[in-house]
Order: sequence, then structure tokens, then C-alpha cells
Amino acid sequence: MRAFPETCEGHWPVISSKRGSGIATAFAVAFTLVTTANAENSAVTEYHAVVSPILEQRCYGCHGDGYDKGKLAFDTLDTDAKILDPELWLKVLNNTRAGLMPAERKPKPSVAEQQKLERWIKYSVFKIDPRNPDPGRVTVRRLNRVEYRNTIRDLLGVDYNTEHEFPPDDSGFGFDNIGDALTMSPMLMEKYVAAGQAVIAEAVPTAPTKPAEQIVSGLAFQGTNAREKWGKRQLQFHEPASVATTLKVDATGTYRVKLNFSVDGNYFPDPGKARIVARIDGKEFLNQEFAYHDDKAFTFESTHKWAPSEHAITIELTPLVPPAKKETIIDLFVKDVTIEGPLEQSQWVKTKDHDKYFPRAIPQDRKQRRAYAAELLGAFAQKAYRRPLDDETGQRLATLAESTYRQPGKTFEQGVAHAMAAVLASPRFLFRLEAPAAHAVNVQVAEVDEYSLASRLSYFLWSTMPDDELLGLAARGELRRNLSQQVQRMLADPRAESLANNFTGQWLQARDAEGIATNPREILVRDAGEESSMRALREAWKRQDEPTAKKLAQFLDNLVKSKPEFDNDLRKAMRRETEMYFAHIVREDRPVTELIDSNYTFVNEELAKFYGIPDVTGEQMRKVTLPPGSPRGGVLTQGTALLVTSNPDRTSPVKRGLFVLANFLGTPPPPPPANVPALEASEADFHGREPTLREVLKLHREAPLCSSCHSRMDPIGLAFENFNGLGMWRDSERKQPIQAQGSLITGESFNSVGELKRILANDHRQDFYSTFTRKLLTYAIGRGPEYYDVETIDVIVKRLNDNQGRFSALLMGVIDSAPFQKMRVQATATVSN
Amino acid sequence: MSKNLSIAAERYASLSRRHFFRGLGACIALPALASLTPRAAFARAGKAPTRMAFVYVPNGAIPAAWWPAGDGGTDFALSPTLAPLEKVRNQLQIISGLQDLSADPGPDGAGDHARAGGTFLTGVRIKKTAGSDIHAGISIDQVVANQIGHLTRFASLELTCDAVRKSGDCDSGYACAYEYNMAWRSPNQPLAPEHNPRFVFERLFGAGAPRDRVANLKRRQQEQQSILDYVLADARTVNSQLDGRDKQKLDQYLTSVREIERRIENSERIPVKNPSIDAPAGVPDSYAEHVALMFDMLLLAFQTDATRVSTLILSREGSNRSFADIDIAAGHHDLTHHKNSPEIIEKVKLIDRWYVQRLAGFLEKMDQTEDVDGQSLLQHSMILYGSGNADGNRHTHDNLPIVVAGSGNGTFKPGQYVKAKPAPITNLFLSMADGMGAKGVESHGDSTGRFA
Repeated sequence: MRAFPETCEGHWPVISSKRGSGIATAFAVAFTLVTTANAENSAVTEYHAVVSPILEQRCYGCHGDGYDKGKLAFDTLDTDAKILDPELWLKVLNNTRAGLMPAERKPKPSVAEQQKLERWIKYSVFKIDPRNPDPGRVTVRRLNRVEYRNTIRDLLGVDYNTEHEFPPDDSGFGFDNIGDALTMSPMLMEKYVAAGQAVIAEAVPTAPTKPAEQIVSGLAFQGTNAREKWGKRQLQFHEPASVATTLKVDATGTYRVKLNFSVDGNYFPDPGKARIVARIDGKEFLNQEFAYHDDKAFTFESTHKWAPSEHAITIELTPLVPPAKKETIIDLFVKDVTIEGPLEQSQWVKTKDHDKYFPRAIPQDRKQRRAYAAELLGAFAQKAYRRPLDDETGQRLATLAESTYRQPGKTFEQGVAHAMAAVLASPRFLFRLEAPAAHAVNVQVAEVDEYSLASRLSYFLWSTMPDDELLGLAARGELRRNLSQQVQRMLADPRAESLANNFTGQWLQARDAEGIATNPREILVRDAGEESSMRALREAWKRQDEPTAKKLAQFLDNLVKSKPEFDNDLRKAMRRETEMYFAHIVREDRPVTELIDSNYTFVNEELAKFYGIPDVTGEQMRKVTLPPGSPRGGVLTQGTALLVTSNPDRTSPVKRGLFVLANFLGTPPPPPPANVPALEASEADFHGREPTLREVLKLHREAPLCSSCHSRMDPIGLAFENFNGLGMWRDSERKQPIQAQGSLITGESFNSVGELKRILANDHRQDFYSTFTRKLLTYAIGRGPEYYDVETIDVIVKRLNDNQGRFSALLMGVIDSAPFQKMRVQATATVSN
Repeated sequence: MSKNLSIAAERYASLSRRHFFRGLGACIALPALASLTPRAAFARAGKAPTRMAFVYVPNGAIPAAWWPAGDGGTDFALSPTLAPLEKVRNQLQIISGLQDLSADPGPDGAGDHARAGGTFLTGVRIKKTAGSDIHAGISIDQVVANQIGHLTRFASLELTCDAVRKSGDCDSGYACAYEYNMAWRSPNQPLAPEHNPRFVFERLFGAGAPRDRVANLKRRQQEQQSILDYVLADARTVNSQLDGRDKQKLDQYLTSVREIERRIENSERIPVKNPSIDAPAGVPDSYAEHVALMFDMLLLAFQTDATRVSTLILSREGSNRSFADIDIAAGHHDLTHHKNSPEIIEKVKLIDRWYVQRLAGFLEKMDQTEDVDGQSLLQHSMILYGSGNADGNRHTHDNLPIVVAGSGNGTFKPGQYVKAKPAPITNLFLSMADGMGAKGVESHGDSTGRFA
């Protein structure tokens, strides 16, 4: 028997107040008895009494009395099941809230009517109990690539590049941390086993002593044309460079010197080549030609017998492409020089980290050894599994270690290391297993235990395992009591960057900024209205008319070169801009509407030039206040959003409109029907003239089948037409001035992208709050929102409204919500240790 | 030595599932083995095994340039797109009329790319979902692998040339899994393919220098085995607390572990044929090289009988790749929606042909590689190349562009342009499965019988 919701008033039938209050009271009492007796019946009764009259008045014009637009007619709901179908009413709720229904400027329900409708939907159809909302079911979540990499980094201090080693994760609802969407396959399992072994091999020393090691940073190299980029020593393939540094050794012995560098080109194919020569004390140990590589690492070594002394190491770069052909942009990044030695065993030093993993002397006695192994492995597994360990597992780990180290030629350390690798392949490490709190008995919904909460928090805010402080609080049962302080601490921690990078990377597609295909040349030529020249150039090539071709090519080259260059560094800066912007809003607790509109952004010199913002120098990204009247401000007008919503050769107002509708307003139109003609086909209707995109789209929308969705998307997307397919501002397209005005389907008109942003941030604030909440909630709980989450979302939106829309309200709203704090309990509620 | 045996004995005793595998091992006759040096003397030990591979290209092909002229038969001229296959022409079947109607929109609306990818080898309607509950069907390569997979070290091999995956949604409300995976072990478990040629090589043959490789592989497998024993026990402690979809996820984990164990078991029975070449360095910078290298890995896997079943995705359905080496900067998918612009159609034809050129390189090598009995590897194989989309512009799924290369050890009589009556491509798959020696496969997906 579900608890009766507190908002009883809404469920009472509408009784004319003209009748005597006595009769009304009697009626009300009788009604209460009926309601208490049978919840379902009362929902249906209420439908007929309260909801249906509203529908008759507002909706039957299209959805009743013989009309069934969109195949919906309310008066054909003839069974209880149909009347109480949650999926139907979810659509009604969303559409009426967004103002999309009633359609076409028909009168909307009054505020009171809408409230009645919503209350009935939420509490009678969805059966939400506001005091005990359903937290829903999250399928057990496997660590995704990012989470695995971060967890390994925090557990063992090793950086394992999962982007290279693991296949990409499947995503759902736009995110790659959705439990249901993440799968396991034999190949992936093999990779996990191999990864565990590789990581342990790097982190855990298997011998107590080894040769000493020195690392000399790449930045120590100084000399001609020694540059620095992204914090690393950089040499460029198109300019000769000669750098050197000194290596110093303090003892006599044999030394192995390794030079580590990487070669990274910006464009493929790039004809650049250079000869790299490296010498120690004037003697060459590397002399080779290098060409284009995509961030590839190289190591070259040489061995020497030295007494305590100093030695010069030099790197010389000679370009093999004449400077006149400066197109080549290939960088050499000197990572470091590692000096291992003396290699003679008598001079070996204590292995780094040996004490860290094996703090005591290793016992000789077999039983004591095993006990020591069990102790070490128990502590490790506890951290790796993110909760206390049972004895049985500890013993199994000790057995595994023992069976390894008792093999001939194996050391104790190797045995323990092998067992640690096994821990990393276990489902208890790879999956985030959760359990209800210990006191949860005989309930269907319970709080998750504090260890589960610690993991939920750390993977949400940091995309990694909980740290010692979180686990310590969980062990003492004090995490919930200190929840808001912990959240504050976590947001201030550098690991909180993960929230910005991974959430924004997917919600706003910032991850795609660097990889998405684009053709700057075609875009700029179109802006200048010189596509006819481009066509003429192709014709000239076909005819092999060299002089004409050269002239046209020169003309187009000059056109392109007059604009800022669009390269990988710029794209990286664009991605960083979006990530830092979001991180700023999180850390400074700004109102979330600043995501839509603001007077600041984050740029470096290159990006500032691209945007036309003056007085910014240096490659560091920093916050700048935008000049007054600047159209930038808010993520929608940042390079990232504009780039990922364009085609390789032009803008796509449809994609941009869809981006705003889906990610900010929460009302994406359904997908297009099959066989939609390409946009360019409509250009033929302009009889030889080259039309602007706005003109072409208008023609396109004239078919009624198309206009129902495109009148929602196109006006929004067209407002951004002043930003070309690279995100650069332009005043004209194809030699015609760009017009940005339009109106939304909900009626508001705007004359510029700035006005549109203000409308979105003000008139559609509730839609934005609701959409943003849904996205963040999905990311936090690892499942898509269901109909019964509506109440949770509404509560968070209210919290935002009550707190000037500050991000902390949203964040704590999500963290305090039932889906985040609780879980559905299985029939046999066994509490795992 | 004895120490190792006792450890092995402990291992064998601890878990009962072993008995199943040991029993199986005893009943199967080992296939004929020969050294890899070409032109060595071969023992006449019976027929060479049959191999099966599916190679996928996205976005269909321009029909006018794909289909040869005429009514079919052995006397036909290769079309412009297929012209690069001239040298292996007598090993080809160009088959028209094949359909993948499960990829049609029906009640689901847009999403032809996800559907074309997800239904190609499964032949069932896939569930339209962007996240939870992906549901396709078992793919034909896995149906065959389930039956004959125990004869080789790897039951099947899944390969791809897509290194990067798009973030967020994929095609009109369909999850990305439908486009990036070709092989499905079960309706909700796609088999993720490997994109790095070096990893493929090392999985097949071991890491390190050629002479150390096999020993390295054995050692690695022994270490793997003890880890797997441990994690299975861990999984048992977890299993009792889960139900519903959670249990399904853990089942995926357990199946994956057992698959690796099975492979290790097979390795202990079936020796590794070690190629004397160096492993590839990694993922090449150019796409053309990447494709060529993956084809090389496939050939090597077949030649050394490491597996007999494979799938290779050259690029996922819906791919928007650009092709720098033929001077095409726009995206493949964007271009295929040409709406009859002749200039754009020419570009798409170039891309279609570019892919066929990669295939030609592979088939020529297969044709020149000697198998155990002196015949060519290609004669013993069935390589199906094609797409789940026919006309990429209109998203049609009938008259798919399909080429089958190889005789499959007598399953087919190639060297023909087969103008078949419209039939589901799954019918052809059934005939291929027969050729692989699979038994009792009555139907697959939307099949209506064997391919005539």
C-alpha cells in the first residue's frame, strides 16, 4: 500500500464553491474513503473528473472528437491501462511544459490547469512518492577507459594509456559511462589481464636492488632554436636547431643512456623531413632521417664506461625541406634522458618504491612468509576493490602468490606482484559493485552503503577511485554526515578537472573538436563568394592550362592566407576553452545560465587572434573579459560548439539548431524521414545565382512535411550564421551580408545571436535548467532518465531557482537525490562485505 | 619439471569445468600441419581446412559503376569499380539480388546506417535504442565459430581499421555499438574488434623476437591461466548477489574468461605456427597502409590456421572518412548523399574503387600463398566483401554490392557474375556455413533457404 502523498488537495474533485461547504465537506470525506481504498481506481476517476475536462477544452481540437493528429486521440483511451500509460503522459508533460503543445498558437492551459495536469501525471500515473522516490535500476557499471586509466594512476602511480590499448567504449544517452551500454568481450578481457600485468610490472619492483637511475628533463637542453611548447622542449622540422645539456655521474661503472623523444606532425600528409643527429662527448649514437609521424615516441640508447665525470649530450636537427616550402609543421619533443647505472650489480641501489610495497624484511620461514604475503595483498585488494576485504579472498590471494614464488627462480616479490595483477583483472575491480546500507532490511529502496557512496562520488566528480579520506570516512560511517564538506573538498581538488573534461567532452562534444574532419579552404572560399574561382581552378587543371591554374591557385591561396591559420593547436585551444569555461563555472559556483551567455571566456594568443580579441599574448590559456559588444560569451558561440555542428565544407544551421534543442532546451525533434534530398539540390532553383544558406533552407522548409521540425531548428541555427564552419566570425557569405534574425516556435523573436542567447537564458531558463539537470544526472547515475525521475528533476530545478541558478545547487541537488543516494534492493538483500 | 606438474594438477583439480574441455580434446583429430617455408615438401594428410571471412565497406557503392553489364555467367567484363580485381577474376563471384531487408526502416524511421551495420551478419531487426538494452542477434560467423572454433587456437578473429570512435549518439537514436561491431556472440554481446595490427600479431603469435615468440606466448598463457583461476573464484563470490541485468553483465565477463581459457587449452593441444617475420610496429599513419596491414594479419591468421573464421571492418557503416591520397577532402558519408550531382557521384566512385583496390591487393596475395596441400589459400577460403547499404544515396538494402572471392574448398564455382533472383543474403550465409562444415544450421535471421 503506497503512502498517500501530502499534496492531497490536488486530488480532490473540482466542486463548485457555490454549493454549501457542508455538502462539499461530506463529498470530500466520501471521496477520501474511496481514494484510500483503491489507488488505481482513484487515478482513473480523477482522470475523468479533473484531467479530461482540461483536455477537452485545450486539446480535443486536434486530439479528440474524431481528430487524432500524431495518432493521439484522448477520447479513445478506453481501458485503465491506456489511461494510465506512463510513456504517453511523459510526452504530454514534456510537450506542455516546453510550450510545444497546444500547437500553433492555440491557447495554452492556465497555470492552475497545468498544475492539476502535472500533479495528476506525476503522482497518479507515474505513482511517484515524493518522500520516497524510486531510485531506478542502474545496471552494474564497468570502468570505462578514462576511469580505468585514472584508477590505475591513483592506485599505483602508473600512467597506462587506455586510449591506445583498449577499444573505445560504447556509449548510451550521449555518455560513455552508462551501465547498460558498457559491454565485455573476450578480447577486452584479455586486454584487462595484460594491462594488469603490465601496470604491476611497471609499478611493483620485483627485486630489492637495481641500477640507480637519473632522469634529465628535455627542458634542460639549451641552444639554438630551442623552443618550448605545451611545457616541453620543442624543435621544429623547418628550422635548424642545435641543443645540448650536461650529464653528470658520480661513480665509476657502466652506464646505459637513453634519449627519449617524440615526433608529432600537424597535418597528414606532410612532406617535411629532417635529419636528427645525437652525440655524447662528440660521438654519434643516433644519425637518422625522420619524416611525418603522428605523436610517435622514440628511444635511442648508448652504453658507456665512465668514471665520476660530466659529459655533453647534443641533439642537432637539420631540415631536409627547403625553407621556402615552409608548409611543414612537424615538431620534435625531447622528453628526457634517462641514465641507468652503474649497471654492475655490486653497485646497485635500493629499488625505488621497494619499501613502499614491501615495508618489512621478507621472512624466511614459510608460514611467516605466507602471512606477510596475505597481509600485503589484503591491504592492496581492499583499496583496489574499494571496500573491506573478506578473509577468504585474502587467503586465496596468498595461495596464488605462494604458488608463484615457490617456483624455481622466482622471488617473493614476483609472487606478490603476480597476485596483485590478478586483483586488477577481477570483476570486483573492473565493475563498480554496490550494496545497500547494512541497516536496510525488508525494504524495496535503501540508501547505498557508504563505500558505494564514496565510489559514486569519486567517479562522478573525479572519474577515479575514492581516495583515503573518502574511504576512511566510509569506514567510520561518517561520509554522509560530512557530505557537503567532502563535495567542497573534491571540487577544489585538481582531479575535479575530470568532471569538466568528461562531462563537457560529451555533452558539448568537446572531445570531437580535435578529431572532426573539416576543410578550411572550402569554408573560407565560400565565405568570400569565390566558389566560381575554385571551380574554374579545377577546370583549368583538367584542361592542363597551367598559367590560368597558377594564377587562380595564387589568388585562392592569398585569400586563405589572409585569415588566421586553422591547425591542430588551435583546435586544442578550442577544446581547452570549453573545458576551462565549464570548470570555472563549477569552481566559482557561477549561475549555470552563464553557460549560455556571459562576458568572458578562456583563450590563448592563437585563439584570441582567431576570435579577433586584442591584446592577448603567449600560448597559456587564460580568462579574458570580452570587449563590449563581442558575440562570444557562453559555450554556444565558442569554437568547439560551432565546429562540431558544421559540415567539413560549410556551416549546418540544422545541426546547430538541433544542438541547442537537444542539449539546452530538451526538445529535440524526431529524426528525419528517409530519402531527404540533399540541401545543395535546392540551389538549382536559384537560376544561376549562388544563394546564401538561409535562402536555401527557406525553400527547403516549404514542404509541410519538413516544416513541422525545421521551423523549430532552422531559425535557431541560422542565428549563428555569422560564425562560419570553423567558428570564425564573418559578415557575409557568398558576397551577401548575413542576417541573423528569426523567431522561435514558441513565439519569441530576435535580431542577433546575442538576443537569441538572452532569450534562451531568460525566457527558456526553466527548460535549460531541466535539460542540464537531466544531462548531469544521467552522467552521475549511469542510466538514462525514466518517467519516474521527473519529480527528482523538478526538485533539483526548484533548488536551482531558489539559489540564483548557481551550479552548487544543481550539483548538490544531484548528489542529494534518491537515484544518487539510494538503490533498489533485491528480493534477497545480502549485504556484501 | 615435477613442480610444474603439481601446480598444473592443482589447477586441474580445482575447477570442474575442465573435464568438459579435456574430454573434447581427446576426440578431435588434429589438422595436418606443415612448416611455413614455401615450397617445402608436404605430407598428404587430407584436405586443407576451409576459411571464411567477411570484409565490410560502408555506405554502399554507386550501382552504375559496380554492376557488370550483361546477363551474368562466366563471360563478363569487370565494371569500372571492380576492375582492380582483374588478376583474381576467376576466383570471384559477383552476386546481385541479395537483400538485407531487416535494415529497412519499417516502423523505426531513420537510422539506416546503424541498421545496415547491425543486421548485416545477424539478419534480424535490431532494437532501436541509444543506450540501454542493445539487442541484435547472433552473427553467422559466430554460429560457425561455435561449431568449429575448437579446432583452432582462436575460435574467431574480429578486426577493424577504425581506431577512433565518435562520442555521444551515433545514428538517429541507435547506439554506436551497431555500427562499430560486426560480430555478435549473442543478441546483446557484440565482439569488439581489434584495430592495432601489432596487438593482433602478438595475440596470435606472441610478443618479442621471432625466436622467442612461442616461448613468450606459452609463458604468458601460463601466467594468464593462474590469474583467470583467481578471478573466476572472485566472480563466484559476486554472482550470488546479483540478478537481472547485473547478472547478464557478469555473465558476459564469465563468458569472456572462459573463452580465453578455451584458447589456452587449445594452444596446449594445437601448436603455434610461428611466422618468421617481424611483428608490425603499430598503427600506421596512413589509412591505406593500415588497411593493407590488417589484410596481412588476416592472411597470416588463415595461413597459420590460427583461426578459420574472421570479420574485418574496413570502416564502420556511416563512416565519414576523407581520402587524402585520392584528393577527396569531403566525408564519404556526406558524399554518398549526392542527389544525382554528377561531380559528386564521380568522387564516390573513386572511393568505391579505392576500397576495391585494397581488396585486390589482399586477394592477390591470398592467391599466391600456398596452403598445406599446395593449392592456394584463396581456393580454400570464402571471402565475402560488401556493404549492408546498396545505394548509399537512397539508403536501399536490396541488390547489395557483394563480391565473394575464393572457392571455399569446392563450396563455390567462382569466375561468375551471378544474377540471382532477389533473396536474403542470409541464404548465402547458410550456404557458406555449410561449406565450413557447420551442421544443423536450419536458418539464420531472415533466411528462407539455401542460396541457389
